[in-house]
Amino acid sequence: MEGLIPMIVVAVVVLILIVWIAKMYNTLVDFRNRFKNAFSQIDVQLKRRYDLIPNLVETAKGYIKHERETLEAVIAARNQAVSAEKTAANSPDDANAIRQLMGAEGVLTGAMGRLFAVMEAYPDLKANQNMMQLSEELTSTENKVAFARQAYNDAVMRYNTYRESFPSNIISGMFSFKEAQPFEIEDQAQRQAPKVSFT
Amino acid sequence: MDFFGHQDVARKKSGVMVVLFFCAVTTIVVAAYLVIAFGISFLNTKGLTSQVPHKQSSSGLSLWQPRLFVIVGLGTVTIILIGTLYKIAALRGGGRVVAESLGGRLVAASSRDSKERKILNVIEEMAIASGMPVPPVYLMDKEAGINAFAAGYSPDDAVIGVTRGTMELLDRDELQGVIAHEFSHILNGDMRLNIRMIGVIHGIVIIGMLGHILIRSTFYSSSHRRRNEGQGKLALLGIGVGLMVVGSLGVFFGKLIKASISRQREFLADASAVQFTRDSNGIGDALKKIGGYTFGTTITSPRAEEMSHMFFGPGLQSMLGSITATHPPLLQRIQRVDPGWDGTYPKVKTPRGFDPTSAPKSLSASKSRRMVDTTSSLAGSQRLGDTMDLQPAAHAVEQIGQPTRAHLEYTVRLLATLPDPVTCAAREPFGARAVVYAMLLHESNPHQETQLKRLRHYADTLVYDTTLQIKPLIQQLDPSVRLPLVDMVVPALRELSPTQYRAFEENIQALIAADDGLDLFEWVLQRVVMHHVSPNFHRIDPPKTRHRSLKSLANQCALLLSGLAFIGNDDRSRANHAFTQGAGLLSKAGLALRPIRVKSLAVIDGALDDLSEVTPRLKRIVIEACAACIVADKKVTTREAEMLRAISDSLGCPMPPLLPGQSLT
Repeated sequence: MEGLIPMIVVAVVVLILIVWIAKMYNTLVDFRNRFKNAFSQIDVQLKRRYDLIPNLVETAKGYIKHERETLEAVIAARNQAVSAEKTAANSPDDANAIRQLMGAEGVLTGAMGRLFAVMEAYPDLKANQNMMQLSEELTSTENKVAFARQAYNDAVMRYNTYRESFPSNIISGMFSFKEAQPFEIEDQAQRQAPKVSFT
Repeated sequence: MDFFGHQDVARKKSGVMVVLFFCAVTTIVVAAYLVIAFGISFLNTKGLTSQVPHKQSSSGLSLWQPRLFVIVGLGTVTIILIGTLYKIAALRGGGRVVAESLGGRLVAASSRDSKERKILNVIEEMAIASGMPVPPVYLMDKEAGINAFAAGYSPDDAVIGVTRGTMELLDRDELQGVIAHEFSHILNGDMRLNIRMIGVIHGIVIIGMLGHILIRSTFYSSSHRRRNEGQGKLALLGIGVGLMVVGSLGVFFGKLIKASISRQREFLADASAVQFTRDSNGIGDALKKIGGYTFGTTITSPRAEEMSHMFFGPGLQSMLGSITATHPPLLQRIQRVDPGWDGTYPKVKTPRGFDPTSAPKSLSASKSRRMVDTTSSLAGSQRLGDTMDLQPAAHAVEQIGQPTRAHLEYTVRLLATLPDPVTCAAREPFGARAVVYAMLLHESNPHQETQLKRLRHYADTLVYDTTLQIKPLIQQLDPSVRLPLVDMVVPALRELSPTQYRAFEENIQALIAADDGLDLFEWVLQRVVMHHVSPNFHRIDPPKTRHRSLKSLANQCALLLSGLAFIGNDDRSRANHAFTQGAGLLSKAGLALRPIRVKSLAVIDGALDDLSEVTPRLKRIVIEACAACIVADKKVTTREAEMLRAISDSLGCPMPPLLPGQSLT
């Protein structure tokens, strides 16, 4: 009978340990789900943006006589981004896919910037009702992307921090919880977009 | 039976669940003891006693050893309790956690995918028609079966999950039928019972799981061990098999508990769905499609066992036939909603991306097809939908938790009046904040100036711009659309990150504080938004019933009624009259109330929190008293109706929107 008490103690300790490990594992899964879900918000807005761009290019074609290659560059960059977005949407926890999407997005943003610069030379195009509506919609979509990105990055940071801190890093190593990639915009032009004025 | 009655029944069912749980635990303890006692006596006879310290070597075959029984009993109970408590703790996150553990992916409220949009729209309409916030939708991408579930503790944290099969194969009417079925689980208080049942079942199934793990690990570790440990391995294997045997008993009990509680609720939900949509074809056709579909309602997720009772149709085939079936047979369900059915199932194609040969063989469909011969007995009776009258004269309070087709149609029309930019903004997190801010803006200038100044400083610049853009649209809205709009923004706001949500919350507080008093709509908006969005960011405690009588809550009741009376009536004597009307109803519950001068509506918040912990029957009395207080002056303004809905909502009783010309009580 004496041998039983230590055995019970060991059993209780083992049980507590198991529950603790399970809890950490579940928290990791929970955080991973959260950032994956947050990605779908970015995804919706990116898709919307990719749908708008061909319309915008189509409208611009009627006006822009020279510099046709700018338009082609936009379409090419958009198609690249679309395929990168598909891969990333399928596995938002794959850091590589996200990095590829970030790259493609950077190229697209650059191409769009050049297109808008070219458009400056065509006052008729800028005054076109359709064009005005499209670029308004595009800007609003970009704002939404930026906002969704912020939510996604928050979620990624929370997951990464938890994943790397002790003792959960043992669990994340054991069950191969991979590091998540925050979604950052690499293009310089977009970095300085929002201006905050304190009046 | 009304909403409150159903809630009571659901509560009683949880009593049944507890009793069954104790039966299950006792049986498992006895079984575990028998297995271990046999094991020890078996070892004794094989002369292995030297390894097992055991004093009663001569009476080793005796099966009654009290000490061993106590040890085994304590051990088993501890394991079961830990399993149950752990699961209950893990489910603290509510419906979201359940949906994600089943492999669900949150569908962004702003999705533009046409199929996702269809589901989102159907759910949005139904939620607003039932007077509850729009629940988030989870899609189980990998599930080919046609199935759906609702999970959560209360309408506040409810989520709806659907499988890919459901999304791809059902048309709008069928989808409406299935979703209405799930809504009735939300409204009838089944969800809370279901989520608790997951915890209970996890505990009694866990022993079998341990056995499974033990056997697997002994097999895996075999190559690393030295040979002379073979006997120890054999013992471990023996323990594993023993645990599995005991565990299968647990699984059996788990199924029995689910079956005894879930099955009747499924019929009820089907009937409520028909009442809600007033169309037995929708749910009937969905059930028939399931019958003609190779995958039926299969759920392949490994969690399907412990959660099978939550689904629209059985996720797993029941081995033991009808005793342990979580759902009534498909055939019977179809016949109840459509007695004139000829017994044929439509052929349903498997959607792309799924292999039809991977479908499980013995499905309810093939089984019930053989059973079709009973149609004649019911053929004379009418369809469920035909016998139901539209309840045109029903009072709003009576329709709490029981929305009808009229509400659904009213909602669809109401949503159509919303200007497009507002609808789009309300559906995604970026614009949803702007919608809420714009709704909080004052009409008159000095206050609005202060509010805008605050937003310019503290809100996102881009959100500020959006707010200004949609402000004129929001201010033109008909007052009756405002509350539905609030219900609409909830899922989008839940997608905010915690940091974003905190800033949003602060801005709301500041906007409300910008003018002196708390305006009624401001209070309603804050109440509804905070009540439904914050559970996503804080841990939620499942709602508890703490009070069985209103006696100890007299003060809270007085505060609530006074607030209502003084809001609806400027002049003191009229307010007193309104208060007496309300208090009159409560005096039946043995309460003597005195009017209290309410300075701000904020004090009502605390009162409502306390009152949300009374039994459903008492909630009904409280809501009726509030309604009596409101109609005391013989007229109901939109604001008063909004307030009643907010109160009802805070008490966890979703109240459908007030139909034009409908009376409150």
